Amino acid sequence: MAQEQSALLLRKQLADLNKNPVEGFSAGLKDDNDLYKWEVVIIGPQDTLYEGGMFKANLTFTKDYPQKPPKMQFTTDMWHPNIEQDGSVCISILHEPGDDKWGYESASERWLPIHTVETIIVSVISMLAEPNDESPANVDAAKMWRERYDEFKRVVSRTVRKSQEEFS
Amino acid sequence: MGNCLKAQSNDDISLLRGHDSQDSVEQALGPPPPYQEHVQQRMPVYHPAPNVSRTASQLTEEEQIKIAKRLGLISHLPTGIYDGSSKKGKECVICMGDFAVGEPLRILPCMHSYHKDCIDDWLMRSFTCPSCMEPVDAALLTTYETS
Repeated sequence: MAQEQSALLLRKQLADLNKNPVEGFSAGLKDDNDLYKWEVVIIGPQDTLYEGGMFKANLTFTKDYPQKPPKMQFTTDMWHPNIEQDGSVCISILHEPGDDKWGYESASERWLPIHTVETIIVSVISMLAEPNDESPANVDAAKMWRERYDEFKRVVSRTVRKSQEEFS
Repeated sequence: MGNCLKAQSNDDISLLRGHDSQDSVEQALGPPPPYQEHVQQRMPVYHPAPNVSRTASQLTEEEQIKIAKRLGLISHLPTGIYDGSSKKGKECVICMGDFAVGEPLRILPCMHSYHKDCIDDWLMRSFTCPSCMEPVDAALLTTYETS
């Protein structure tokens, strides 16, 4: 049962995205036979340090989708306060809901079952444009972003160039 | 349809009536019958905390009470059968499926409606409306006060 609903929903989103592509990213299955593993390519947003980059990432869903969030991991090297060194994306909307005793993230900032591939990627694109300094996943990148912005810029532009080379 | 709580039969009622008394909670959510292996697969899975999924027999007493209370609250929320009128909206935004005539719906205090199975599963994880993010318990209290 669970499998059926998640597969149906993912198939529907795949068809929608093929029919009406969204500006700023492309998305598809890694393997045509597995609806739960997607590959997306995010185009670095304009007027940000990431402009011009072509960043690849994997989205991995479970059979519990949409009740549970997928995991997202960049396969292109990234340098960003909210992306771990291994590429894992750390944003609140990909965190499971539940009682949050510390009031760190309100329910509205966390996963909701109405999120789709599109809304997730749109959030990640805005995260690229505006890092969240409060809960860094990559502490070194966060520190550099805060204290040595010029160096941060240089490192990011290296990843942008590398992403272009890898892509072609 | 949904990947939802399948064990919402008579148990709910017993939980509802007795959610303040531990005995009945334990009776309802208690240990599984002896033919475990067979039953295990059909046992409902609960989510007492993020990233925690457990069957009823694996829950702590505290978690059982919390879940029983939540089940009780959910069962107080109005339900309906989709009759084809578009007043309540036509699509369940959780599964993105259109409502079909005769399907059971659940209507939250904020008036957003979903397939009953889709929303009940979600409400066990987070007691908020996925569309407007209104906390359902706060809204429930308000409706009690005004009615």
